[in-house]
Amino acid sequence: MRTIVGLISGGADIGRTRVFWIGFGVVVLLFLLYPTQTSAFRVSNVSYYLLNIPLGLGMALLWGYCGVLSFGHVAYFGIAGYIYGVIAGNMSGNPFGPLAGVAGGLLASAFVAGIFGYFVFYARVQKWIIPILTLVLTLLLETFLGQTAGYQWRIGSVLLGGYNGMTGIPWFQLGGFVFEGYSFYYLCLLVVLACYFGLRMLVNSNFGQVIVAIREDELRTELFGYDIRARQWVVFVLSAMLAGLSGLLYVQWGNYITPSQVGLLQAALPVIWAAVGGTTSLLAVVISAFALNWVTYTLSAQGNQYAMVIIGSLLVVTMLFFPRGIVVMIAERLGRLTARRAAPSQLQP
Amino acid sequence: MELTAVIETRSLNKRFGGVVAADNVNFKVLSGELRCMIGPNGAGKSTLFAMLSGIERADSGQIFIFGQDVTRKQSFQRVKLGVGLTFQTNRAFHELSVRENLAIPQASAKLENKQAGQARLEFALDAFGLDPNDETKAAEIPHNQLQWLEIAMVLVGYPNLVLLDEPTAGMASEETQQTAKVLKHLNSTGLTIVVVEHDMAFVKDVAQTVTVLHQGQIFAEGSVAEITAHADVRKIYLGRV
Repeated sequence: MRTIVGLISGGADIGRTRVFWIGFGVVVLLFLLYPTQTSAFRVSNVSYYLLNIPLGLGMALLWGYCGVLSFGHVAYFGIAGYIYGVIAGNMSGNPFGPLAGVAGGLLASAFVAGIFGYFVFYARVQKWIIPILTLVLTLLLETFLGQTAGYQWRIGSVLLGGYNGMTGIPWFQLGGFVFEGYSFYYLCLLVVLACYFGLRMLVNSNFGQVIVAIREDELRTELFGYDIRARQWVVFVLSAMLAGLSGLLYVQWGNYITPSQVGLLQAALPVIWAAVGGTTSLLAVVISAFALNWVTYTLSAQGNQYAMVIIGSLLVVTMLFFPRGIVVMIAERLGRLTARRAAPSQLQP
Repeated sequence: MELTAVIETRSLNKRFGGVVAADNVNFKVLSGELRCMIGPNGAGKSTLFAMLSGIERADSGQIFIFGQDVTRKQSFQRVKLGVGLTFQTNRAFHELSVRENLAIPQASAKLENKQAGQARLEFALDAFGLDPNDETKAAEIPHNQLQWLEIAMVLVGYPNLVLLDEPTAGMASEETQQTAKVLKHLNSTGLTIVVVEHDMAFVKDVAQTVTVLHQGQIFAEGSVAEITAHADVRKIYLGRV
């Protein structure tokens, strides 16, 4: 138990003080109480902001901690979503269909990422090429899915649907309990908390230290006896599965998925969430992914055509004035202020 | 007792375009040696280190470490045989703390050497004034401590063989002497050490055998006295330092 607490509260992420954890607890409590205070529509919207967080966390792990930028992680989001739709759709009426869909979706995203990552990392492809290769993969997937219109493009009884996408995707259910509305909101919250704490433990473990070392200096790390290719591959697959998890939640939220979910615009979003929050902190990316999804969704829902322009501008402002990320730099400033205030008090008798 | 070869290269060749970095190099280091390698810039010292560690692949020839043919092995596989290496430029993880820097090599430590390796590590940490629990970022510690930190990081892996590329670069004379003292002690415990160095006072202080490289070839090899008295070595190298 002490080991788990030690791993969660380790130094690899911002927020380690008692005050932080009290604040964290209050925020979680507010999220737990939120559905009792608002409409089902708003709860559904917040579910959407939450369900994207695992994708952002995967980006933080891969880019921020391991130093590998993927510009096409939405491919795994889409693969998991489509595979879930195919499996759960074909097992419609079977209470274990959605569970099989979840397993199939996660395995499919892990499998594709495993094959892709194997060639990228074991061929020691230079880091600057990886974003291009990953982007190409997701654009290829989008192009392929876009031309799957027509009855001939079906798997079992489920139509892939071309640019209109796959519709009528079943809700997730465990036994007879269907996760929709409020229960889906709590499912998303649980998944986000589990991913966040799981990754906090991972980045504070020896494995986490080594992936940061790989980010800092690949050759130096390899010359301490680590097969860096294997570790980069593991992180890549894990982050793809996190993207897949978001994809699974997405298709259950809206009961549909379209090829645009793996397109260029969507591919840029997790990169922006990570950059704006601060890639080197899981918490920063959680905050940033939630806030930017809220901004984008709210602006789009109001018919504002400039949502992506605003998000893009925010990225530019971040790069210029907050190169380590807005949340990370605010946290650093707060940390310095707290330390400055604490210093004189230590002199008191 | 017959000493075994810890490093042996056979007819090692390496070219970078038209530049010959290694020309039929047959290099041998025996167990327990403290060997220094000297030579003018571009003589092929660092390239030889890079080929020994697997960073660079030889164009032809063979490399044996602890009797095993490692010519086609990856860097991390060679290191796992019990080899530690530092670079010409310091490559401690500057964004990590001293404690974290010392923790990273732990998982790949050669545990069969734990008893001797731990004693060597503790001696070095003590002599270098490094605190294994220090949370200061490596980027914030003085240059000499950073150099020493990298040597200590190598020792965390409990190696049998250590390759050090200019470990005293940028150090003041007292710091160089302290480094020499530590290396001599480590060698006295049975650790085989090979050092590339330009500082001849340091070489004279620590080396049992000196190898002189010139234009990718082993130009001369012998004791410090033999090398410093070697007329051609004086002409190509020692006359300049």
